Amino acid sequence: MVRGLGELESAIMDRMWATNAPASVRDVLEHLRKDRALAYTTVMTVMDKLHTKGLLKRKPVGRAYIYEAVSSKEAYTADVMRVSLAKSGNRAATFVHFLERLTPEEASALEAALQVYPPSGRSS
Amino acid sequence: MTVAIALAVYAAFAAVALPRLLRRAAWTDRAPRLAIAMWQAAGASVVVSVLLSAFAIAVPASVVGHGLAALFEACAALLGHGATLSTPSARIGLLIGGLVLARLAYTGGAVLLGARRGRRRHAEALALLGRHDHDLGALVVDYEERLAYCLPGRKGHAVITTGALRSLAPEQVTAVLAHEQAHLRGRHHLVLAAAEALARAFPRIPLFDQARAEIARLVELLADDEAARHHPRIHIAAALVRLATGRVPAFALGAGGETALTRVRRMLHPQAPLEWRERLSGLLAVTALLAGPTALAAAPGVGAFLAHHCHSFLITL
Repeated sequence: MVRGLGELESAIMDRMWATNAPASVRDVLEHLRKDRALAYTTVMTVMDKLHTKGLLKRKPVGRAYIYEAVSSKEAYTADVMRVSLAKSGNRAATFVHFLERLTPEEASALEAALQVYPPSGRSS
Repeated sequence: MTVAIALAVYAAFAAVALPRLLRRAAWTDRAPRLAIAMWQAAGASVVVSVLLSAFAIAVPASVVGHGLAALFEACAALLGHGATLSTPSARIGLLIGGLVLARLAYTGGAVLLGARRGRRRHAEALALLGRHDHDLGALVVDYEERLAYCLPGRKGHAVITTGALRSLAPEQVTAVLAHEQAHLRGRHHLVLAAAEALARAFPRIPLFDQARAEIARLVELLADDEAARHHPRIHIAAALVRLATGRVPAFALGAGGETALTRVRRMLHPQAPLEWRERLSGLLAVTALLAGPTALAAAPGVGAFLAHHCHSFLITL
């Protein structure tokens, strides 16, 4: 059940990011119902949760809320990557550390080293 | 008391001298796994010496010398506010030992819990952003920055961005992912957490500070070596260069990639692994670091034990 909700969160956010426009629970529900049966309250609950998580913002219109993505998918991705990978605990997680990016001189020296590397070694 | 002082002096000396020795060693890049074990053993050696030193202050050797039964009696007396506890030295010893243990447990817990919380938050975000690619066996995230990393944990997996996928040839991608899988399989996040906990529990101690930095570096070399067992080294080297260059400005936090340079050179010009003699002496050193403090602490006890029980035997000699 939890897993199902996670997938629903993902589907809702994809929709909100793709349209990049304000939408009501009813709008999102109609879109999602194209490929699965869903109850209005389920979608409402999940969108409320996404609001609590800070991914959606909302304003009341009539008796319901109109939701909108807080930031674009690109901006959110950049935030997630920067925040969680720049932390000291994850310093070592990346293939190449952020703090150890090569200077242009070092990079060109390495590119050169790769170029002159004997082709026989490539298949070793 | 002599033992307590000897252990304390050893701990202080080792905390300053061992990192210098280990950093200067040329063999570490050829045997990263052994080097990691050495740093860990050095750290454990210092912590154990301090604890044993505190214990030696609390329990006099003469008590230990009268056999195990007497030792247990002394311990029981210590635990149950017996006569031994009333001496000031016993109290100081127990206080030091208790503080060291408590500090380690507290920081260790904080490091582990903090890392787990961060990982969970990141995993939640990735659930929205990434899609699992079954061919790659990794999570793919739409992002221009060239990144590859792993998210350890029970359901650990490798993560790679579309930016990285675009800039790498397919065989380089599999090499990079093999490197990340090596991190996951080797549970390197726990190795790093232990080093982090020690460095944070007792800040500004050269051994712990440098162990943290060195282990973080050595773990990368180790994962490179693991990946190189099944993938041509040239692909790992090329992938390193591709991912280390062409950064997005927002990520350019610093410059100069000493570790990246070392890793590329290691992949292009592999050095011979250690000979069995070198490896054996390394393992002996690890053993000595681990067993040394205990042997030192036990020496007077064993001496007293021998003197107490075997003097007739010694006389006949």
